[in-house]
Amino acid sequence: MTLPECYGKLQGDYDEVVSRLRSDRLIQKFVLKFLDDESYANLCAAMEAENREEAFRAAHTIKGMCQNLSFTRLGESAHQLTEALRNTWGDNAQELFRQVQADYDLTAGAIKELKAQLGL
Amino acid sequence: MAGKNKQKILIVDDSEMNRSILADMLGEEYDILEAEDGVQAVGILNKRASELSLVLLDIVMPRLDGFGVLSAMNTNGWITDVPVIMVSAESGSKQVERAYELGVTDFINRPFDALVVRRRVVNTILLYAKQKRLIGMVEDQIYETEQRSSLMIDILSHIVEFRNGESGLHILHVRTLTAMLLNLVAAKTDKYNLTPREISLISTASALHDVGKIAIDGAILNKPGRLTQEEFSVMKTHTTVGAEMLQAAVPGWMTDEEYELMKTHTTAGAEMLARLPVQHGEDLVKVAYEICRWHHERWDGRGYPDGLRGDDIPIAAQVVSLADVYDALTSPRVYKPAIPHDQALEMILDGQCGQFNPMLLECLTENAEKIQTALQGDAAEEIQQRNLRSISEEALRGEGGAVSERTLRLLDYERMKYRFFAAMSEEIQFEYTVSPSMVTLSAYGSKMLGLEEIFMDPQTDQRLINVLGQKTLDEIIACQRNSTPERPDSTIEFLAHLDGESRWFRVITRSVWTNDAPPKYTGMLGKAIDIHEERMKLRELEEKASIDPLTGLLNRASAREQMENRLLLRPNGRFALAEIDLDNFKRVNDELGHIFGDRVLQELAGRMKHAVRSSDICCRAGGEEFFLFLEYNTDIERTVERIFHSLCFELEGRSVTVSMGVALTGCVGPSYEELYHAADLALYHVKNNGKNGFCFYDESMKEKEER
Repeated sequence: MTLPECYGKLQGDYDEVVSRLRSDRLIQKFVLKFLDDESYANLCAAMEAENREEAFRAAHTIKGMCQNLSFTRLGESAHQLTEALRNTWGDNAQELFRQVQADYDLTAGAIKELKAQLGL
Repeated sequence: MAGKNKQKILIVDDSEMNRSILADMLGEEYDILEAEDGVQAVGILNKRASELSLVLLDIVMPRLDGFGVLSAMNTNGWITDVPVIMVSAESGSKQVERAYELGVTDFINRPFDALVVRRRVVNTILLYAKQKRLIGMVEDQIYETEQRSSLMIDILSHIVEFRNGESGLHILHVRTLTAMLLNLVAAKTDKYNLTPREISLISTASALHDVGKIAIDGAILNKPGRLTQEEFSVMKTHTTVGAEMLQAAVPGWMTDEEYELMKTHTTAGAEMLARLPVQHGEDLVKVAYEICRWHHERWDGRGYPDGLRGDDIPIAAQVVSLADVYDALTSPRVYKPAIPHDQALEMILDGQCGQFNPMLLECLTENAEKIQTALQGDAAEEIQQRNLRSISEEALRGEGGAVSERTLRLLDYERMKYRFFAAMSEEIQFEYTVSPSMVTLSAYGSKMLGLEEIFMDPQTDQRLINVLGQKTLDEIIACQRNSTPERPDSTIEFLAHLDGESRWFRVITRSVWTNDAPPKYTGMLGKAIDIHEERMKLRELEEKASIDPLTGLLNRASAREQMENRLLLRPNGRFALAEIDLDNFKRVNDELGHIFGDRVLQELAGRMKHAVRSSDICCRAGGEEFFLFLEYNTDIERTVERIFHSLCFELEGRSVTVSMGVALTGCVGPSYEELYHAADLALYHVKNNGKNGFCFYDESMKEKEER
């Protein structure tokens, strides 16, 4: 699996990220790093504990990372969750969180596949 | 580029990935510091704000968010020195607005684009560096502004001189004298609040004192003879006309109508003045106004045009008027020849040119010679240089607040160098400043002496006094008082009391002076070296040299010295000197050998020491001759008898006896020579009477000797 193929699978925008970061080496480095980031785990824990502020921050961080990596699909659902958690608990927060979970699994799955193929 | 000179950027973002993307984008050109939340960021700013070239700041973060960081940066004034670019995923207009209100320079939106990030960062850093340079109190900036004003003033004052037919030197002389006098006044009193910048301003403005003469009819200006009353009243108007011109030079000082009116008769001058660089010009023009208008006022109120009196006359005008009069007297004019320095001084002091501030006259007379030579060699240039230097010093002291980056970097470098060398050398280094009254010790010094690295008011600091002792502290203060800029160094040796131990130190100090004329004492630099070992070795050598190696008793020379000291200290004390000889010692040596002989000497020495108090003096004067020197109160006969008996002993079956002659200060004069001579006579008496005994000197022995 190549880097563009990975982006295809997680529904990101490879052309866009290349135009910004300008090197496959850098992109790959950060894509792999995405798996190590704790924001998703924090988000899940905060949602469970119903800690709105924590959940908002974690979703916000995920959104920011996705923007930087051009992970369009996960970025969009994280964005919506962020807005649902800003200031108050939005009615659809749980629903949006499930969407984030689904998209995260899709993204992480694609990256793990890439990682395995690279023999890392 | 060397690593040390890389610009530092602080990246504040809670996502490690975002930080590392930014760091990678900025690449090797910068030194990157990272903080993962606002609290860490403020911590770093607190320590290193002055080193940072830029902060990249996220908004949404745990503990303290980006706005919290911005508030802290505002509270602490960091925001004026360190530009901030927001890198948040937030793009709501409310937040953007709030960030700008808090002093943010720019926004970089996500997703980050490598080119955009780099360009924004470079631009922001450049812009800030430029602003910093523009703030004004930077040395080169001042120099440039001064140059421009000076140029305009030079042109203007040359026109005046040309019209006046004065020598081109008058303006220069007045400027030089003004600067000198102001420095002297500033050294004498704080009353006029004369900062180096103020002095520079007044001296520059002094060149304009006669600018009003542009408007005076040339026929009057250059009339060789005495002026008529009317002519003199026209001449007098040069003060008010000059002042009006200056008023016209700064738009807004007067109404447009007034301004137009004025321009009609003083057009040329006013226009030229108006071209002075504005920011700097305003202060300059204000001072020049005072000088123009009031440089013919006199201390007793009998000057013109307003009849001001005493310190109602601004100090700038007072000083310039004195400088003007002095130079006018000592230079040739169309109506008079040059007058010699001494005579001019006399005329001024005599009040022939009107009354001046007595304090100014003091400054003039106290430095008469210096002033004369300064004008001869024309030190104008030098004074200007010196003032420039002082201005930058003033700027560094923080009056202007802003200092050029280059200067800061140089300072930083010097500080780093100093710290490095101070840390490398195991020396106690210190620095003292008068204002604030504060001592800074090197880390090593602080450890060694057990004092804080920084402490205030050393003169009364009890811990310092405990370490140095009041006497040493007084001595150091005295040395500082007696030092001069020409002879700033002094050395003192003292015993320091450190944590339960006393050690000898040598302290070398150098007093520090300002570049003003006259120089002001601002503090000292110094270092203290532990010379204890050195000193102890020396003392050991001294002791060795004073002791007889066989017996451990004092040798003759040092015993004599000590006896003389005691006789000198207590001329009325009662002392006894006993001279002791071992009986038949030559025979002991011959029969039993020198080794045994040495043991006899050692045994006797031990018994002597044992027989007297430790404060008494025991001495092997040479061969088998010994001295005892003791102070007594009563019954010296019994004491001597006891001692005599204790000095007779048996060693390995051999009986040893001594002969002892004793002299008392009650009987002979209180001098070593007299005592020794008398004790010797008494000893002679004992020997002549079969040895193994003692006797006191009396007058009869003297008679015997004389026979």
